[in-house]
Order: sequence, then C-alpha cells, then structure tokens
Amino acid sequence: MTVTQQRLAPSAPRAARKHNPITWVQRGGLTTLLFLLPLLIVFGVFSWSPIVQSVIMSFQKTNLVTAPVFVGWDNFVAVFNDPLFYTAIRNTGYFAVLALLFGYPIPLVAAVIMSEVKRMKGLYSVLAYLPVVIPPVVSVLLWKIFYDAGPDGVFNTILGAIGIPPQPWIQDAATAMPSLVLQATWAGAGSTIIIYLAALTGVAPELYDAAEVDGAGIGKKIWHVTLPQLRGILFITLILQIIATAQVFLQPFLFTSGGPVNSTTTILLLIYQYAFQNSLGGAYGEATALSLMLAVFLAILSIVYFRLTARWSDQ
Amino acid sequence: MTTTDLIPAAPALEQAPPVRGSRRRRREVETDADRGILSRADRRAPRVRITTNGLHALMLVLLVLVGLVPLLWLLKSAVTPTQDTLTNPLGLFPHGFAWSNVVKAWNDVHIGDFFFNTIAMAAGEWAVQLLVATTGGFALSVLRPKYGKILSGLVLATLFVPAVVLLVPLYLTILHPPLIGHSLINTFWAVWLPAGASAFNVVLVMRFFDSLPREVFEAARTDGAGTFRLFWSVVLPMSKPIIGVVSVFAINAAWADFLWPNLVLTDIAVQPLSVRLPQIQSSTDLGVYLAALAIATLIPVVIFLIFQRTFLRGGGLGGAVKG
Amino acid sequence: MKSSKKALAIAVAMAAGTAMLSGCSSSGASDDGGKVNIVVAPVLPGATADALKALSKRVKEFEKKNPDISVKAIEYQWTGTTFAAELAGGTLPDVFNVPFTDSKTLADNGQLADITSDFKKTATANKWNKTVLDVATGKDGKIYGVPWGPYAMALSYNRDIFTQAGLDPNKPPTTLDEIEQDAKVIAQKVPGVAGYMQMTSGNNGGWELSANTFALGGRMEKVGSDGTVTVTTDNQQTKQALAWLHKLRWDDNAMGKNFLWDWSGINQGFASGKIAMYMSGSDVIGSLMQANGFDQAKYGVTTFPVDASNSDAGILSGGNVDVVNVKDTAAQKAAAVKWIDFYRTQPSVDKTAAINNAKTLKAGDQAVNAPTLPVFDKATWEQNQQWIKPYANIPAANIKPFTDGIWDQKIVPEAPSHTQDLYAALDPVVQAVLTKRTVDVDAMLKAVDAKIQALIDADAK
Repeated sequence: MTVTQQRLAPSAPRAARKHNPITWVQRGGLTTLLFLLPLLIVFGVFSWSPIVQSVIMSFQKTNLVTAPVFVGWDNFVAVFNDPLFYTAIRNTGYFAVLALLFGYPIPLVAAVIMSEVKRMKGLYSVLAYLPVVIPPVVSVLLWKIFYDAGPDGVFNTILGAIGIPPQPWIQDAATAMPSLVLQATWAGAGSTIIIYLAALTGVAPELYDAAEVDGAGIGKKIWHVTLPQLRGILFITLILQIIATAQVFLQPFLFTSGGPVNSTTTILLLIYQYAFQNSLGGAYGEATALSLMLAVFLAILSIVYFRLTARWSDQ
Repeated sequence: MTTTDLIPAAPALEQAPPVRGSRRRRREVETDADRGILSRADRRAPRVRITTNGLHALMLVLLVLVGLVPLLWLLKSAVTPTQDTLTNPLGLFPHGFAWSNVVKAWNDVHIGDFFFNTIAMAAGEWAVQLLVATTGGFALSVLRPKYGKILSGLVLATLFVPAVVLLVPLYLTILHPPLIGHSLINTFWAVWLPAGASAFNVVLVMRFFDSLPREVFEAARTDGAGTFRLFWSVVLPMSKPIIGVVSVFAINAAWADFLWPNLVLTDIAVQPLSVRLPQIQSSTDLGVYLAALAIATLIPVVIFLIFQRTFLRGGGLGGAVKG
Repeated sequence: MKSSKKALAIAVAMAAGTAMLSGCSSSGASDDGGKVNIVVAPVLPGATADALKALSKRVKEFEKKNPDISVKAIEYQWTGTTFAAELAGGTLPDVFNVPFTDSKTLADNGQLADITSDFKKTATANKWNKTVLDVATGKDGKIYGVPWGPYAMALSYNRDIFTQAGLDPNKPPTTLDEIEQDAKVIAQKVPGVAGYMQMTSGNNGGWELSANTFALGGRMEKVGSDGTVTVTTDNQQTKQALAWLHKLRWDDNAMGKNFLWDWSGINQGFASGKIAMYMSGSDVIGSLMQANGFDQAKYGVTTFPVDASNSDAGILSGGNVDVVNVKDTAAQKAAAVKWIDFYRTQPSVDKTAAINNAKTLKAGDQAVNAPTLPVFDKATWEQNQQWIKPYANIPAANIKPFTDGIWDQKIVPEAPSHTQDLYAALDPVVQAVLTKRTVDVDAMLKAVDAKIQALIDADAK
C-alpha cells in the first residue's frame, strides 16, 4: 500500500494505533524523524544544550580540568562587585546611543533621497552597500591604520589639509568610543539603506496621490505618508539595532582591547575577558552569569518595546 | 502640456475614479505606478528639479567618497612602498609602485592558504546550514508531525537568545563533544556544526515551504512519490529562490565570522583570513599587510559586484539582523 | 523502495555509523611502533621564513642524534585562549614554553608534567643557578620545566635615529633624566618619531610599570614572614615613575601620539622606526629579527637606569620555561626533556652544541648573541660568549652598554601572586597617565590594591 492509501484507509481503533511502533514507522513517522535528525542533532548539541548549560554554569565554578563546583549566586555577586561591570554598562550604552544617533537617521535620509533617483539607481545602491561587503575584520584593521594619531596618519593628513589639527582618535578616552562608532556606522549603514529602499518602494503610490489632492507639499508627503508607511520597518530596525549594538565586540577587541583606560570595554568584551583573558584559565562562571544577565535584559527590553510599539501601531 | 499628459502613463492597479469636468484635477490624480514621493508635477517644477538633482549629485559624491574611496585607498596603498604610505598617505605613487608587497603577501604571509581556509569554512557552513534548514523546514512545514509545533517553538525560541549566551558552553561542547572521543578544536567541524543551528534559516525556509501550494504535494503523492522523492524531486527544485537567499546569508556570515573561529581555530594551519589577519599585524611590514588586506577584500567585493541583485534583494535584511 | 522501509534502513545504518564514530578517538602525539613522537612549539606565530628554516635544521640535527625520536615543530603563542583550551581539550603540544610569570602557578596547579627524574639525568642538572631553577620548581620541590633565556629589562634604542638626532649612539642615556633629555631632542629633531615609549596594554603596561617601580626601589607586592602577600602598588616609587611618564608625555611631548602598545605592537613600532627608545626585555633583538626582520646593525641596548642610592632598587628579570604536557607518557617525557636539553640548554654549556647552534642561527639570519642572563653562572656564560664570538651577528659594540652594566644591577624577580591579574589591573593606570592630563593616580592605585588583594585573600580561604 502506498502512504497515501494508508492514510485514506479506514483507521484501526485509535488506542492500538497510537502506541504501535510498527504502524508509526509505516505511517512515515520514522521518515519524518530522519528528516528532522540534522535539525535535532545540530540544535540539540549546539544550541539547546549550550543554552541550558549556560544557565547551569552561571551557578558553578569551572576550571575546565576538574569537575565544576556549585557556588550558588557567587558568580553574579562577583559581577555586581566588579567596577568594570558598571564601566562596561556605561560604555555599551554610550556606544548604542551614539550608534543610534548616527546610524539610524542617516540611512533613512539617504534612502529617501536615493529612492527618488531615476538614472543609475543601481550605482547608488552598490556604492552604499560596498562597505558592508568588506569583511568586518578587514574593515576594522583598515580603519585602525586610518586612525593613526600622528600627524601623518591618513585621517589626520586629510584633516590637516583643511586646517583641522590632528585628532587622537582611538588614543584618547574621550574620542575612542566615537571613533569606534564612526567605523561601525560606516560599515553597517549600507545594509540599513537597502532595507529602507525596499520598504520605500512598497509604499502605495495612491497614498501620495491622495496626499497631493489634499495639497501636501514634498515635506508634508514625507511626514504624513512615507514615514507612517515605514513605521513597521522603522520599529523593527530600531530594536534590531539596539540589540546588535548591545553586543558589540569586534570594534573594542580589535581597535583598542577595551582601552584607553577601559573607555571602550563593552559588556561583550568584559565577558570575553572574564572567560579567556587569563592565560592560566578563566572565570567561566562569571562569564556565563554576565551573558545571562545581558540576555535577560535584552529579552525584557524587546518585550517592553513590542508592547509599546504595538500600542502605537494600533492607534 | 500635450494631450498625452492627460492619459495616465501606465495602467495602475487601482485607478483613481476619473473626475469629470476639470482637466487639471485629472492630471493631478493620475496614478503613475512608478512614482514615489515626487509626483510628475513635482519633478517638472524647476525648483524641485534643481534641488532633487543637486541632492542626488551630492549624495553620489558622498557615496563615492565614503563608500568607494576607502577601498580605492586600500588598493592603492597595497602597491605603494611602505615608507610612502607612512610619510605621504594621500600621495599617488610618489616613488612608483611596489608590486613586491603583493608578491610577499602571497608568498611570505601565505594569504592564499588562509583564503583557502576561509572558503573551506564558508563552504562547510553553507552546506550544514542548508542541510539543517531544508530537511528541518521540510519536516516541520510539509510533513507536519504532531510534535511539530513544540519543535518549531523551541527552534524559534533560540532566535531570542543572544549568541553570547552560548559562547562559553559551546566552547566546552566543542572541547568535549558527546559521542566523539576527542575535541573538535582546530578542526573545521568546530565551525561548521554550530553554524547549522540557525533558527533564522529554519524560519525562512519553513515560511517559504508554507507558501508552496499543497496541491503539488498531493499530486506527487498520488503519483506514488515517497517522502524522500517528494523532498528531493518536488520540493527542493521549487525552492531555488529561498535556497539562494539562505546561501547568501550563510556565506556572508561565514566570511565575516570572527569571534567564534578566533576561539576554536588557534592552529595557524586552519585559520581563516578573519582570524589570521589581526594576528600578523604586528609582525608584518605595513605595505605587505595592506596588500594582504586588499586581497582579502577583493574577492568578496568582486563576488558582490557580480551577484549584485541577489545581495541587494536579500542581503540587506540579513545584514541588519546579524548586526 | 517504500519510504518507510527506506527510512528504517537509513536509521539502522546511522546507528551503526555512530557506534563506529564514538569508538574512534584520536591521540595527539603518541608512541608509534618504536619511534616516540613529540610535538614541540619553539617559535612564535609570524616567525619569518628564515627562522623556520633555522628551526627545521636544528630539528634534523636532533633527530639524527636521537633516531628513536621524531619531532614536529609548530608555531605557538602563550595566551588564555590557547593554553586553557588546549589543556582541557588535550591538544597541547608536548613541549611548549611559558613565561617565568606563570610557571610556578601552573606547576602548583598540577598542569605541568613532573620531569624531575628525566631532568636529573641531564649533564648539567647540578650546575643550575638556584634562583633561576627555582622558577620551574613547584611547592613540592619537584622540577616542572627547564628555564631558558633569562633576561633583564633593558633600554633598547635605535642607533640610526640617535645619529639622526645628533646623539652619540655609543653613549646612550644612563639615568632617567638623561632618557628624558634624549627623548626630547629626538622628538624635536626627528619629526614623527616618539623619543621614548613603554608598553601599555595586553598586561604589559603593568609589567613595565613594575619594572619602573623596582628600578626606583619600590615593590608591587610585599611578602610577609608568614607568607601572606600584600599588594602595595600605591607606593611612592610607582607614583614617581608615573609622574616621570606624565612629564615625558605632556610637558616634553616626547612620546609621540599613539599610546596603545602591547608587546608585539611596540616591537613592530620600534622595528619600523616609529619609536626611538623603549623599555624591553634585554633579549628582544631575537624577536625583532625573528618576527620583524629588524636590521641588527641599527640596534642598541643598554641597562635601564636603576637608582644607585637605593639598596632595594633593582632590575626586573624574566625568562621562559620549556614545560612538558602533563598528559604525556613516560617515553614522551623522556624524549621531551632530551629535546629541551638539546635545543635550549646544551648551547650554553657544550662547545660543539653552542657552535652548531650559532652557525644555524647565523645562517638563518637569527640573533646569535642576544643579551641574556646566565642560566648557570657568570663564568659559564662568559665562556659561552667566547665560543659564539666568531659567529656573533649583533655587533658587540651595540650591546656593550648592557652587557657591561648588567652585572652591577640587582636582579629582582616578578611579583609572586596573581601576577597577570596585577598587570592587567595596572594597564589602565599607565594608559590614563599617558592619555589624560589630569589623573587621580592615588585613587587608581588604591583601587588596584583593593582588587588584587581581594583575589589573593580569596585564594587563602
């Protein structure tokens, strides 16, 4: 009998069918399981299990060689007692705010302008997306060279040509974080622009027509039609950007190793330092504790955010 | 104003009701399916036209300066002698070229080897991700077992867990994987396997499969196709678009990956470019180093330029999600 | 074939495959039919092609002498991500090298192989300088490694830049004030070059600040008679050292504009001519030639000034210890110790070995006579210098200021407890002094004291 015929055949008494492994196999249960095997194995071993392990490890002291020891809340207390923890929160917040300030409106403005381009549209998109294509590590290493603080550094030479004195860039605690944000924005703005462009083409033309009937000029059209239509995508990119910037690691790690004077030590960098910086073995419990705290924070933030934006969208 | 202006430019999906009488009103209400914020009238107005053209020109200049020039500088400096780059970074070959930089980057720094490692890493990650997403998505979306909803829920839940939570335990799992007796550190499996656990891919594929017409499956079944045939000969061929999108995300992510490979691939022989390049910074002459960076950049850029449309269609969203 | 039957067949095949897979376990280096295989890690990543060639020659020499041992040499760097992972994952090389800073802690943690018996079999077992050997000895008195290449902190300088600035490269500075003077002159006369620089990141900021402190007579940690350790970074000499750096940076403007330097970064900065003088290990020319391809004719090194009026003042010393993987078999341990003895120790005591080693190094354009401290005693050291003199590729005049002056300096070992943590906590203090004009040094040092003391006290519990 084929599978289909089996399915359409009159059913045997339910009780007998449910617990009979043979019929389960015959009805394709095993096949389904086989298809799910890659997913189950990969997610099980490399996703679900580590997540559970992470929670467990945050209550243990591990040294990778001997068996872990249960220490209750000690790891969390240690994190709260670490002055660097508060520095990391401040720095991460600073990065997120700066990144939002530059990385959120600029792509929107650029996308709106670009959406009205008639000739060589593709060229604009390609140019905008080019920094995104450069591998992030290469991008950071390149900008590290740009940021040389001597008068002959690339950026300082450019500034010098227009009469601005050389800047310390990543060598000074005051300018280090903004320098990191500048590179991060440069590398990421392109993909946001493309998303916005796609969303802009989805705005129904009739809405603009209707607005013009009501006498709206260009500015009013953008304010009353474009932005509200984009509301959904704008909300999503905002929260996604916040979540991403909260986890920034590459820039602090490669540019400054958290310096100068811990001014670029972010939460992710701190987690990495807890776990991997000491050549003799790390504080894995504290690392997992801090990562859990971050996860919980982001989860709460997302829930609150979606509740708020749901209410706004409904209005 | 010619008579053609009175005729709507293209058949719009929803015609605005024709307004009797006033020719002017009809012109204002004409629906141009192509239009954005600016209407035809807007574009014709000289003030708007000048401003728009000016803005676009400015935008183009800015994009070239910001997007293209850094890349060009890299390419230029890659073949410039180190001293010139140090003392005169903006100069254009004051003392001629230094092709030796590229030669050294290839021979001494062995950029080719690390490049090959990156490809091997990306290929494996792509394969694992595709395998997990297609088979899993197929089972959950088409076969729909009774426990399917719970499973999808569990998969979806991982979307909300930031990757950092997995960092240390995943590292330990790679050190002591179940069943296999030895650690996977410094093997490509350490990078391939965890990459497959991407809920994003599974969700994408599931939604795509959900959108496929069920009648095609029923028809195949009635024709006697078993489940494997259904997957291989019916569903997969129909899934080329989503496979393309998942592939772009997967390869993009693999190329950019740093933190995880940096942790698990400490043996130089298996390191990809993203891990090796920062390490050799302090022991490589600047010119040679820039040549190495240039080579590492050129390939993704060239691939991007060739496959522009795929990138720009699906890549944008991937970039935003991966941060 | 029916779908469900196919499924069953696949399932059975997979179960069998999995069973086979779990049975498969790899062993790293292992005994292999008569020959003992060991993996050794004697060079840093990024070693030049010449260095690797020289290494491979030495390996072949050893294998010829010991036909029952097969040696594979790899590049290796001692960091948190490599060591802890490889220890846990069981993929550590058989022989690798750790700094003096960490060897005792590792030994006491049971993370190194006890090689006492094999060590005692070496020809030089009884000749060792007690202080040097102590670094590789655990609390239980057993030997856990073989020290090599001990060095003292020194002042490396670029002779070419000195000449460019109108300074005499044969008369390097001998006091802190003179360093300041020379740095000022260089900064003025040679634009774009930092007159003087120190390491500031990657735990090296604290390491070098300790050197500054010791050179003025202070200490970072004090050990009581009962063995308790008190952290004392908040002392007068450290503040004096920080004030000296502050003046160099802000008043004299002699430290350039870039301040984030770790060990490999500052070596490259020096090698590429961006830094004229810096505090380094006395043997750094070896690394400068190995990894940065530096031209040794330009290299000069002198002692770092120590306060002669203070009897506690001395120069910070360090070194390396070749250690053996704790998981090695007895045969591997014996082979490992033989390799270490051949590669590291013999060139110090045996004339033929010394000359062979010198010849190989010279052929590979590696440093033959980088200034190090004696492993045994001064007499043996001087004899060794005579043997390798014909092959020396660093001009004797270039290193004379150091080799002459070091014997007058008191050698001070590193702070004993939680040293890496101490250094890491001091990095930001050094960075602060160099990047902020006004810094509350007292508060920062007190915070470091509190933090490290807490770690030390937690150990005692």
